[in-house]
Amino acid sequence: MQWCNRVNTGLFIASPAMYTELNSILNTSPESFTKGDFILLSDKQSDASFLIHHFLSFYLRAKCKVCFLAMVQSFSHYSTVSQRLGVSLAQAKEKGQLVFLEGLQESLSILIPQDEHTGSQAMNFLRDPKLGLQDLYEFVSSKVKRSCGGEAESEEWGPPVLLVDDLSVLLTLGVTVGAVLDFSHYCQATICSKLQGNMVMLVRCDQEEDEGDNESPACLLKGLTHQSSLTLDVQGLPTGYCRDIHGQVEVCWQRRQGDGQNTQNKLFQYKVHDKGASFFARGTSSAVL
Amino acid sequence: MDSVRYSGRQLLKSFVKAALNREETVHFIGFEFSEDELRDGLKGPFAKRLHIHSAFTDPLGWTDHPVFTVHQFNAEEITHLIKQTSHASAVTLVIDSLSWILRHVSPSVFCRTLQQLRKGGAVRAIVGLLHADMHQKGIVGSVCHLATSVITVAPGMKAEEAEAKITKRSKSGKVLQDEEIFVIKEDLSVIVQGKSHQTEPIQTGPEEQKMDPTANLTFNLRLSDAERQAKENLSLPFVFSKEKKTALLHSGPSSGRILYEPDENDDYDQEDPDDDLDV
Repeated sequence: MQWCNRVNTGLFIASPAMYTELNSILNTSPESFTKGDFILLSDKQSDASFLIHHFLSFYLRAKCKVCFLAMVQSFSHYSTVSQRLGVSLAQAKEKGQLVFLEGLQESLSILIPQDEHTGSQAMNFLRDPKLGLQDLYEFVSSKVKRSCGGEAESEEWGPPVLLVDDLSVLLTLGVTVGAVLDFSHYCQATICSKLQGNMVMLVRCDQEEDEGDNESPACLLKGLTHQSSLTLDVQGLPTGYCRDIHGQVEVCWQRRQGDGQNTQNKLFQYKVHDKGASFFARGTSSAVL
Repeated sequence: MDSVRYSGRQLLKSFVKAALNREETVHFIGFEFSEDELRDGLKGPFAKRLHIHSAFTDPLGWTDHPVFTVHQFNAEEITHLIKQTSHASAVTLVIDSLSWILRHVSPSVFCRTLQQLRKGGAVRAIVGLLHADMHQKGIVGSVCHLATSVITVAPGMKAEEAEAKITKRSKSGKVLQDEEIFVIKEDLSVIVQGKSHQTEPIQTGPEEQKMDPTANLTFNLRLSDAERQAKENLSLPFVFSKEKKTALLHSGPSSGRILYEPDENDDYDQEDPDDDLDV
């Protein structure tokens, strides 16, 4: 698949093919992708954030209204990376295509209240983690529903998409696994089911699984896997560090496709470049062949 | 009971379809899938006997108009709900999933509710889906204890197949255990393909005929019977067999003998080099 020059609002720069292998593995493209999907990204002793960058630029290219809950990095970080992938986040934000919740910034205004500015209601769980994530859901819901309201500008954008980077950091902030699962359930019910949009969430598990621990990221991952339609699990190579192969990705389709087919799980290896990532079957890295 | 490796939802739906085909009334409380997705595959003339109480959109009452919330999961409310829609014989109650409820309701209350429903009379049978890997073993054990039949599903060897471990407790106290391989077709019918053979190795197809490596060569690699006999009689040089042992221990008359007379120089005592100590 070649990305040709696209004549449009000037949002996209002509760019060479990137992540095309991933698109063909998942059988999607910005022009046609399954709606109502909950894609779960997970990593263990590896970094799956390159997939977040991919999906961010993918859905922006697909002209969807994107709501991005960025808990772990600043706006400029994502902006810089997206620039390399050929998408301008600042422009998307200006045009109203991208709603960006910068978690780090918002949390500061709650933890260190200055003047009258009390911060957005979305991060209320920082005030009292036991409250759960209902306020965060209300925030997402309001931003996403606005795109499907009667306003003229909303007709431009496609189905809504929610991206979260990442969910496991909420656990470290005192939110329980149950509350996070409830949040993702409600988001799925609203965004995927009702509005036929998509959801992409990242969960990071660094520890080994502990049988007795009900509040570990591994437990959260299991609960989310049951809810999801597609999971991409990123791990380091079992044999150790390699310069040319950064790790492996296991792609599992959780829910049956519309025609009832049970798609097989697939395992690929990948290498992250400056402007994208290449995926290949095990043992076929260009460094090896 | 299922896990992340294989979802038991299709099997649950096939139970629902079977119950509907038996002309039973089914009440479905769904937390994890929307009503449209649940009805998918369950359409037909019997669909009017299927009552879905969807708790998918708002299970916790966060909006103003929840259809069914998890807080309504108690014997009185459910019995009331069932009596509202059907007044005939007892119904089959299907819950997807029990794990969702267990996250919000304490295990003891949950088990008590299930027990009350069972003894209540409004419900004839309860079929529930539990994600075994989401709970601690104790909770899973307690819920299984309540059940008369437990079916644990896992992915099978081949793509379409799945394995089911079945434990059935009859009223007389007898416990039956079985393992079967099954396939669920698109129309939600279950086809049992026989017992699972866990000890057999994976068969990758019909066994290939063993090739004879000594055939079709330009030189002879085969042994005649006499040669084979001679080969088997040969004792290997470094194998310490019984014959070798006796041969070494009792040396024959023709073998060489070693005669040794102790020499003074050989008798060197480290602690007494001059051999003049009176020890």
